[in-house]
Amino acid sequence: MSRLLSSLPKWLARWCMVFGALCVPASANAQSIVADLSTREVAISTGFTGAELLLFGATEGFGDIVVTVEGPKRDEIVRRKERVAGIWVNGTSVTFEDAPAYYRTAASKPLNEIASAQALEKLKIGSGRIDLTTRSQDSAERVLKFRDAFIRSKKRQALYSEDISDIRIIRGRLFRSTIPFPVNVPTGTYQVTVHLFKDGRLVSSEKTPLTVHKVGLEAKIYDFAHDHAAWYGIIAIVIALVAGWLAGVIFRKA
Amino acid sequence: MQIYLPIAEMSLNALMLLGLGGMVGFLSGMFGVGGGFLMTPLLIFIGVPPAVAVGTEANQVVAASVSGALAHWRRGNVDIRMGVVLMIGGFIGSTLGVSLFTFLREIGQIDFVIAVSYVLFLGIVGILMVVESVRAWFRSRNPSAPRRKLHHHTWLHGLPFKMRFRRSKLYISALLPLGVGVVVGILAAIMGVGGGFVMVPAMIYLLGMPTSVVVGTSLFQIVFVTANVTFLQSVNNQTVDIVLAMLLVVGSVIGAQIGARVGSRLRGEEVRIALGLIVLAVCARVAWTLVVTPDDVYSLGIGGAH
Repeated sequence: MSRLLSSLPKWLARWCMVFGALCVPASANAQSIVADLSTREVAISTGFTGAELLLFGATEGFGDIVVTVEGPKRDEIVRRKERVAGIWVNGTSVTFEDAPAYYRTAASKPLNEIASAQALEKLKIGSGRIDLTTRSQDSAERVLKFRDAFIRSKKRQALYSEDISDIRIIRGRLFRSTIPFPVNVPTGTYQVTVHLFKDGRLVSSEKTPLTVHKVGLEAKIYDFAHDHAAWYGIIAIVIALVAGWLAGVIFRKA
Repeated sequence: MQIYLPIAEMSLNALMLLGLGGMVGFLSGMFGVGGGFLMTPLLIFIGVPPAVAVGTEANQVVAASVSGALAHWRRGNVDIRMGVVLMIGGFIGSTLGVSLFTFLREIGQIDFVIAVSYVLFLGIVGILMVVESVRAWFRSRNPSAPRRKLHHHTWLHGLPFKMRFRRSKLYISALLPLGVGVVVGILAAIMGVGGGFVMVPAMIYLLGMPTSVVVGTSLFQIVFVTANVTFLQSVNNQTVDIVLAMLLVVGSVIGAQIGARVGSRLRGEEVRIALGLIVLAVCARVAWTLVVTPDDVYSLGIGGAH
């Protein structure tokens, strides 16, 4: 919350820009949607327990708004447990390539009331419609089961979410939406897209990038562990040796 | 007070981790064991990824064993020659173990292998401990009962490369302690333990070492082997979380001191029966996770970015 408050002046400035844009009479084909985020970065520091960003903007006149947030892409493996002699063991697996690590859809009303299924399919809006490619040789039916399981697992981890009541439209012009990030949020670049639909047709969309990264000591430790793994190991050992020895000395005197 | 763990990539309550370290430290001080075999499953139960729990625990065991090892060293309770042979075996075993760990992690079976190893070893050791200490307890009440033979010769004593271990008053094949070291090294890598609960009985019953040097020599070996595991896990898997390890270390060194004071007032057999029961309880809890039907038979693993 403190982060939100500290960035308030900038945030106010952006609101003013939004109002400014509204006041200027625009031609019919001009940008008919403007949006911005309360902050362009989510910093993971020592006390990080998750974060919530505020997305806000304005449209020219009435319409329906759909916001999608797509996280960094990476390969994700889904494994299926099988019962072998009474014990559950990981069996077959399917790897989805370049799957978004985070995905959120928020809309001002149920998606099927905003646009047709074909239109949504084309724009890949909704977690059920995202691209998940695999080189798995399994049958399409089985891959589909893994796909459903992937989305289900992601939702359980709060990394995939759908929210149809979240976007509030104020006087048909201003809108705001919150983007929640759980504590296990993957680091990387995120893409926030605001779509404006009118009568089931996409009239405008605006993309805003967003970065999630570790900061401070946490970032340093993580980077060091990956970039200088051998030194990290040696330092871990030295710290442990000193801590153990020190404890022995202190308690022997006490 | 939530604290973000940079390698585990999750937030946990720092006070809870200190308390957990303190509790396990208390038990390890009371029973004179490393505590890794309790800490690793507990970390997994609270949601730490098993691979991170194992890697971090190896690091914590380094800290937990070093002060004990130094104390025994000063009192001359370390058979250095034996310790070095065990250590060489331990280096071989733990290096093999970490490679095996990396391989199992890649094929998605590491969680399963960790759980099965725990069930197997805790089960065997727990049962042996309870049986042995119940027997000893009865013997202490009935001193006229016949005593077991202390030492018997088997084919193990006919192995080549005989070495004299003066401090242990032994003349045995170097292959024996080397083999024990290899097995314990593998366990240390896969289970995130020091392996004292396997090594101490092996030293007494298999090698026939006098009890006076057993604990010191095993601690001496554990420090080096867990240091090796920490290093290799850091290099191969990046699964050692320094922040988590430090919180556990602080809790456990304090707990261990209190535990040691309480333990010295209890009777040996009763303490061992209690420890045996705790070991069996942890074993049962881990076994339960293997047989209970999961909420979702599908689970996610990360393939890594490219």
